[in-house]
Amino acid sequence: MAVGAPVTSLDPHYHQLSPNNAVADMIFDKLVNTDAQARLIPGLATEWRAVEPGLWEFKLRPGVRFHNGSEFTAEDVAFTFQRVPNVPNSPSSFAIYTRPIRGVEIVDSHTIRLRTDGPYPLMPMGLSNVRILDRETHQNATTEDFNSGKAAIGTGPWRVVSHRNGDRIEFERNDTYWGERPAFQRVDYRMITNDAARTAALLAGDVEFIDQVPTSDLAKLRRDQRVALSETTGLRIIYIGLDHLRTDASPFITDNDGKPIPRNPLKDLRVRRALSLAIDRQAIVSRVMEGAATPAGQFLPEGIYSHVPSLPAPRPDPEAAKKLLAEAGFPNGFRIQLNSPNDRYINDARIAQAVGQMWTRIGVRTAVEAQPWTTFVGRAGKQEFSAFLIGWGSNPEGSHPLRNLVATYDREKGWGASNRGRYSNPELDRMIEAALKEMDDAKREKLLQDAQRLAMEDVAIIPLHIQTNIWAMRRGLTHTPRADELTRAQDIRPAPAR
Amino acid sequence: MSTTTAPLGAAAPAAPKVETPFRRFVSEFASSRLALFGLVVITLIALVAIFAPWIAPQNPYDLAQLDIMDGRMEPGTVGGAGFTYWLGTDDQGRDMLSGIMYGLRISLSVGAGSAIIACLVGASLGMIAAYAGGRTDSLIMRLVDLQLSFPAILAALMILAFLGKGILNVVIALVIVEWAYYARTVRGSALVERRREYIEAAQCLALPTRRIIFRHLLPNCLPPLIVVATMQVARAIALEATLSFLGLGVPITEPSLGLLIANGYEYMLSGKYWISFYPGIALLITIVSINLVGDQLRDVLNPRLKK
Repeated sequence: MAVGAPVTSLDPHYHQLSPNNAVADMIFDKLVNTDAQARLIPGLATEWRAVEPGLWEFKLRPGVRFHNGSEFTAEDVAFTFQRVPNVPNSPSSFAIYTRPIRGVEIVDSHTIRLRTDGPYPLMPMGLSNVRILDRETHQNATTEDFNSGKAAIGTGPWRVVSHRNGDRIEFERNDTYWGERPAFQRVDYRMITNDAARTAALLAGDVEFIDQVPTSDLAKLRRDQRVALSETTGLRIIYIGLDHLRTDASPFITDNDGKPIPRNPLKDLRVRRALSLAIDRQAIVSRVMEGAATPAGQFLPEGIYSHVPSLPAPRPDPEAAKKLLAEAGFPNGFRIQLNSPNDRYINDARIAQAVGQMWTRIGVRTAVEAQPWTTFVGRAGKQEFSAFLIGWGSNPEGSHPLRNLVATYDREKGWGASNRGRYSNPELDRMIEAALKEMDDAKREKLLQDAQRLAMEDVAIIPLHIQTNIWAMRRGLTHTPRADELTRAQDIRPAPAR
Repeated sequence: MSTTTAPLGAAAPAAPKVETPFRRFVSEFASSRLALFGLVVITLIALVAIFAPWIAPQNPYDLAQLDIMDGRMEPGTVGGAGFTYWLGTDDQGRDMLSGIMYGLRISLSVGAGSAIIACLVGASLGMIAAYAGGRTDSLIMRLVDLQLSFPAILAALMILAFLGKGILNVVIALVIVEWAYYARTVRGSALVERRREYIEAAQCLALPTRRIIFRHLLPNCLPPLIVVATMQVARAIALEATLSFLGLGVPITEPSLGLLIANGYEYMLSGKYWISFYPGIALLITIVSINLVGDQLRDVLNPRLKK
């Protein structure tokens, strides 16, 4: 099998990166696992509950052994939480998941209690990112020891045979795995970063399975009898951010003669709704994305916790959009520049041009400026743009996009970290705050749904679509596609004979 | 050598033909059918480029006229706007025929514009170097050597990385990359001409230096300069296409030929050949016909190649 993005390390606590997490999921286990739809399911913990607000209890799975025979106990969990924040040189640490833990109490060898400051309902969700290590084996293990394969020992379904950094990893099945055993004896996990080369390797039969299928090859692969595709709606939303910061002139908006407009039209809800109604999301999905996306009217796709029911993607209505513009005082529209990266998201610059067409058609004459991601994201972060196309990979839980994308920017609270348009709505902030204190899952879901509905009705951002994750394999194989983009060998099985 | 075969002169009245240098030049140029053909083609291309806004079925730079639903249509399909896309459409629903016409505008104007400016700059510097000699000469010619030792595309990339995107910046980059060729050519021929008697005569008459350089020396260095200029126009067009292909030239909503090719090449594997193919052909024909004309010019103007 071949994957498109290189794995940078086998140390499961070194770098938060999808390819690394996928491989870590093959070698190690977590207390709480997630299924293909990103719902929480028991992993090394069989059950968990909040004993009281601020105190979580996890019951651990008995009889689990590491690849080297060492037994898994509560000591190992405590050791793991200690190690996570202390991995040297970690480019993006996993400590964000263990930081809320103020105290660890080992009740018995298979029960552990975690104390937090006040109610913290996101604990099981957070721990579904933390892979558990063995105290005896990994006490002094460095990241290099993991990379050499020496310390790459977990409780997971695969053992590491060899690892060549950035090139390939060889695995062999862990025959004593506690869960469902993988279908294959050995797996050769290769990294082929060039899109065309990866597709070619599959067609030539060099590999049996690839991830990140380029959309331009989709039409061809769908027709090919030797190949099967597996796809699922992912968690990455592509949206347009708007300048909410300025009430006076916005830098890339002018009237039709090119003169600046003294007030920022985007502060007017009617203008924002008009821009959203102008967009034909289905056209973008079918023509630009070749079907590899779902039109979106909110952050999360259907089937994910806290998805808002009955909030579909807005249907395009240019006439209504023009009327709204006229009501807002812009009967002849205005000019705007839409900024976009050209090397970050699937078809990013093409999507921006398509949006430009649709806005221009309702009278908002749009210039599209595409630039490399590094330049783009720096300028977007400094609020230099009026409108910009960008994406966001969500955790499967509404508070994640809410807190990061539309909550009022607050460095101390860590809120609005990616709120590049600086949207701010005190009522919304209160709703998010309330949801984060609610321990009951059903009640919290309701609060999160209300908050997301408010953000969408106020057009805090203009959602476009949610990307579809696509894998391709030789016929005769079947794959369980995962919403979280992870490409793991245990999800591939021989197809049932027909 | 016969002097009466020039087809251009055939329509002239029966008066006996005087052999002027220009007539001789025209007839010698016309002796190559291929070069004549190239000249006709490049004239046609130039006309298409100039009149594109009136003859193109669509303005490919006006987003309101594009329809994403017409994206990637095969050549010959009738689109939503009611006219036929004879060469198909690209991924944004842009009519390829209109796109190529407008793209040629950019290619030709950037190519010709940068060649003319580079020619002015390069020729003046070359002339000064040849006439002044000594330190000035060394300084200018070392600059030329430095410039020529860089691969053109690399130098252009660095200049654009510094200046930023935009059509004007492309012209500036091309001028910086190309002036050295003109400077070296002009200096070479000016050095030869400088030692001729007519320059000595002019100097004896105590004519001002500027007058000697531009009125006496320059006209006599023109032939090789014209040849280099023609070739460099073709080179500039190819360079502009390369820069646009790499995403450094024109804005994405106003594609030139290079960007049109870049837009389509991802679809080559999927059988949608026309997005890259036709702009590529247009670029090829333009460059080949300019080169045909240039080659013949060189043959005619180079005394050493005369039979």
